[in-house]
Amino acid sequence: MNPIPALKFVGRVALQNILRNRGIAFASILTITLTLLGAGVAVVVVHALDGVLHTEESQASVLKVFMADHVGFASEVNLEKNLGRAATVASSTFENKDQAAQQAGSSLGLTQAIKLLEHSGAGNPLPASLNFHLRNIKAVSQLNREVRTSALLDTGPHPTDYNADVVPRLERYIFVAQLGGGLVVGVVGAVALVIITISVRTAAYVRRREIEIMKLVGATDWFVRWPFVLEGVIVGVISALVASVILLGVGLGFGGGQGLALGVGVNFAVLTVLALIVAGGALGSIGSFVGVRRSLAT
Amino acid sequence: MSISTSPPPPVVKAASAVSTESTRNEPPIIVFQKVTKVYANGQAAIKEASFTVRPRDFVFVVGASGAGKSTVIRLLIREERATQGHVLVEGQDLARLKHRHLPRLRRKMGIVFQDFKLLPSLTVEQNVAFAIQVTDPGRPHLKEKVGEALYIVGLEDKLNAYPTELSGGEQQRVAIARALVHRPRIFLADEPTGNLDPDAGWGIVQLLQQINHRGATVVMATHNREVVDLCRRRVLAIEDGRIVRDEAEGAYLRDGDAIL
Repeated sequence: MNPIPALKFVGRVALQNILRNRGIAFASILTITLTLLGAGVAVVVVHALDGVLHTEESQASVLKVFMADHVGFASEVNLEKNLGRAATVASSTFENKDQAAQQAGSSLGLTQAIKLLEHSGAGNPLPASLNFHLRNIKAVSQLNREVRTSALLDTGPHPTDYNADVVPRLERYIFVAQLGGGLVVGVVGAVALVIITISVRTAAYVRRREIEIMKLVGATDWFVRWPFVLEGVIVGVISALVASVILLGVGLGFGGGQGLALGVGVNFAVLTVLALIVAGGALGSIGSFVGVRRSLAT
Repeated sequence: MSISTSPPPPVVKAASAVSTESTRNEPPIIVFQKVTKVYANGQAAIKEASFTVRPRDFVFVVGASGAGKSTVIRLLIREERATQGHVLVEGQDLARLKHRHLPRLRRKMGIVFQDFKLLPSLTVEQNVAFAIQVTDPGRPHLKEKVGEALYIVGLEDKLNAYPTELSGGEQQRVAIARALVHRPRIFLADEPTGNLDPDAGWGIVQLLQQINHRGATVVMATHNREVVDLCRRRVLAIEDGRIVRDEAEGAYLRDGDAIL
């Protein structure tokens, strides 16, 4: 069979079916648009939440290792190199005693107290430190355990420092956000699939005579099925485009003239639109495939 | 009910008789071997039916409503599967036929039904072309083939009419034209005159005889006594799912049987 006329025929029948059954097609587009809109909102919110959590995570993913005063430069470099080799370490910086004093002065308002100590002859009480930025918040406590065994560390009560209580809390938040978002997208997707299956089954029932004749004159299952599948794809893609326009419109509206709301970037917006189109097409085709299957039983 | 038109022209009967003689040595095109069909509700529609049909035969399958005539047709197009026994078409056991090969079987057959099964939204020409478009849309000279089929059934001047604008007899002719476009070797008709007045019904039977004369094997399920008696072709009579009579030039009823 020549595929070009076959594809032309399938495309023409699919479009004719949509136009002929405008009511069913409109209802399908409306419901699928709403479900895809729900999925889109869930994806954007999870993305925004994820962004906030990742900012928090990157700030909390720093392990500060305080060095003993007697440790020389070479030993410090050695320790930095050794620990920096770990795959979990993204980068490391060295902060000397003066920088530590400056930092404590500016962030904690201790400038005056540090100056007093220096003038009294006690010198700068703050230790130098190695700051390790880790790729994953979960790796902080592991690195902390490893580094604690080193003899180069400050002998004070807190030779290392990291935001210990924030770490598990953030981990929980991230897990809940991802699970919740995944569940919303999954449930909404399943609902859309059921709606498309039912609408195609209805359309197949309305056109049962046509299907019956096609089978009687010797049409293959392919020929019976593909106009419905293409129809599902067209309905799914139209729904996705409508949902995308609404989503972008609302995003721009809430963005207050400064791009999209919730800090959504252009790249993510484009990806979301593409994902909705792919999801709409996939939902439409799968739903149609399942919906028309019963009509092909004999 | 009476038939107001004259019997078919002698030439048809004579040619057909010759063709029947010449097919004696050919293998049968349809074989029923002890076929039983029991539906899901437990009703046995066909009980151990055995018969053969040779190429270019014309066979009436007769019997009262519910006797099992339509089941014979449905088994032949593999819309139903035999519960026991074998149905063979051109040597192919339909029980072993894979689902994906079903379209190929059905393209060898032309099938018409009592309710015509036309698409009301399509014109006569589109209804006939539909059979080609859904099976082989790239086939060249589609318009000519459709025109040829409509010429055979005598509707070449009704190309742009819609089914609702046609009489019952004309609608059945469109259905026959649609069944003819694949040039089927086997033509199956399930009560094709059931919804027609006697004149139109007789016209359809004459048309089926012409199709048979052109070389197709015709199996027609009917309870139209007049046409069976006028044609005097092979008759397979079914009663309660059993083949009770198989006569070469039979009548609707056996001599002495009461008219139901």
